[in-house]
Amino acid sequence: MSKKLISVLISSLLLVSLAGCGPKNTSSDKGNNQEGGAKTYKVAYIARAQADSFAAWLANGVKEEAKKYPNMKVDIFDGQANDDTENSLIENAITNKYDLVIVQPNNGEAQRPYVEKVVKAGMFAITTNARISGIEGASSVDAKPYEQAGVNARAALTQIPQNAKVVVLNGPSGNFHAEERRKSWQAEFFAKRPDVKIVGEQIANWNKDEAMKYMEDWAQSNDKIDAVISMNDNMAAGALEAVKDNAKFSNMFVYGVDGTAEALMLIKEGKMTSTCMQNAYELSELLLSSSNKLLTGAEKQINTDIGNPLITKENVNQYIDILKKAGAIK
Amino acid sequence: MQIKGNFWSTFKKRYSIYLVLLALSIVCSFANENFFTANNLTNISRQLAVTTILAFGETMLIIAGMLDLSAGSVLALSGVFGVSAYKATGSIMIAVLVAILTGVICNIINAGMISTFKAPPFIATLAMLTMARGVALLYTKGQNILKLDKLTILGQGSIGIIPIPIIFLVVVGIFTWYILNHTKLGRSLYAVGGNKEAAVASGINVPKVLYTVFIINGVLVGLAGILFMSRVNAGLPNGAVNYEFTALTAAIIGGTSFSGGIGTAGGTLAGAFIVGFLDNIMNLTGVDSYMQQIVRGAIIALAVIYDIYTKNRKTKAMLGKQDDADKTKVVKAS
Repeated sequence: MSKKLISVLISSLLLVSLAGCGPKNTSSDKGNNQEGGAKTYKVAYIARAQADSFAAWLANGVKEEAKKYPNMKVDIFDGQANDDTENSLIENAITNKYDLVIVQPNNGEAQRPYVEKVVKAGMFAITTNARISGIEGASSVDAKPYEQAGVNARAALTQIPQNAKVVVLNGPSGNFHAEERRKSWQAEFFAKRPDVKIVGEQIANWNKDEAMKYMEDWAQSNDKIDAVISMNDNMAAGALEAVKDNAKFSNMFVYGVDGTAEALMLIKEGKMTSTCMQNAYELSELLLSSSNKLLTGAEKQINTDIGNPLITKENVNQYIDILKKAGAIK
Repeated sequence: MQIKGNFWSTFKKRYSIYLVLLALSIVCSFANENFFTANNLTNISRQLAVTTILAFGETMLIIAGMLDLSAGSVLALSGVFGVSAYKATGSIMIAVLVAILTGVICNIINAGMISTFKAPPFIATLAMLTMARGVALLYTKGQNILKLDKLTILGQGSIGIIPIPIIFLVVVGIFTWYILNHTKLGRSLYAVGGNKEAAVASGINVPKVLYTVFIINGVLVGLAGILFMSRVNAGLPNGAVNYEFTALTAAIIGGTSFSGGIGTAGGTLAGAFIVGFLDNIMNLTGVDSYMQQIVRGAIIALAVIYDIYTKNRKTKAMLGKQDDADKTKVVKAS
């Protein structure tokens, strides 16, 4: 009897916990129809990796923005920075008959055939951050990684002194944004400034701690570093942290991309030169409004981009205000 | 002659890792003039402090036949909880205690899964790796916690000319050496890792030993967590990814055997410095990222092959002695 009771209890616990493991609904609607009889659309948002701070910021933004659309029920899934996991999640979304699938690819080419499957299944597909271009029938909402680095690189042309020594911090190899940003620095800056010497270049995987370690080593082997060219803000902040008490490196030019709260504060304090805002809130707003237009039939295909504003000491306060309103800076 | 041979064999066995470290430092000094400077050596030690503290924990676990794959994730969780506690109270002491407590709780769960529920250490700590990272990300919503103010003193401050992380590293190193060489727990760890059945037969309370060593590991991981966050001046929920592998690499290169029962604190420290020297010299001389990965992998492979090779030679030598003894018995009997 007691064994039966334990079995029942364990089964109930399992059922309850399994129910709790499902994706988080951001709308209170449970069925396909609202009270008024209007259709509720099912949207799957498949994030690249919630462990990636920008991807998490974007996923949180999507979740918040979805609350403004009672006609949509948005489920958020985590691709865990793994192509296989992300592809399985897209297949599951097809099986579960979502009306629209938003994919933030881990690796565009690996997800391309699966996004094509979404379109073939008669569902709407949007790729974002970064877009997978050239899929017939699919839409895209993105920032332009080439331009994000480009606005910094063009400003650096006149800022970085002649015969300067610079270090470069790259994102993960194979990552679309990492490679486009590095390409942009090459074409927009290094090709035009052959006098500038790269004295250190490493992959720090977007991470502050890895960047910090590389910068500490470079500070040992170089008496002078004129600029830190980083493909994101996290790594730029790590490089600055490594030499913050070293007077020899107090006048460096430091560039990043993303517009994180930390970078904006560093720009305000005069420690970082500039960054390009990749505004996750703007991206989420555009994602949800595009989804709404597609689902309600207002448009059939959308390809659009958010802006790439350069943030410097002169205009940093207006972006700090944006992050303050969003609660990212207290 | 025989005495000389034995001396050399013992010397090689005990000190070869230190000789490798010495040789490497001489090569590095020639490779780059900035290598052998006080500043650079302090820089390397400060960089190594967090992973070496983890490596001391891994060493004790591996000696006992265990392993902790969750160290990097638990470090991140302990660190963000510690940082949050600091933000809430402004007390460095409370931050350290919260971080250590988090590390201990996670490791008690690890020990419970392994010792009480008989889960293999690899699987149990793999599960904790995922869970701890998940909790850290959930708690922070994947965002970094900024502005640690005075808490940065732990990771960036100095007492006199000695950086505080190095002081922690030395204290933890001495603690590990003392546990392994001068305590009943140390002897039990070697016994359990060397031959679990024999350890049980000799009256060692194996579950108690396992819980204790995991709790000690939890203290070290928690401490490493708050040092790491303090060093980077942020609570990074996605920080310290794969740090467990760096720690394991230091232990393996330092002569800790994955079969259990063999390993020393000094060896692990030397192993950590070998990895640190190599990383540093590759950065100073501008070796690219991909080549660095190949070199690191090759060193692990060499260390493991050396471990297996010496073990096989030892086994053959023992079997040879056994054969000789058997032959002598047969001759005597006939």
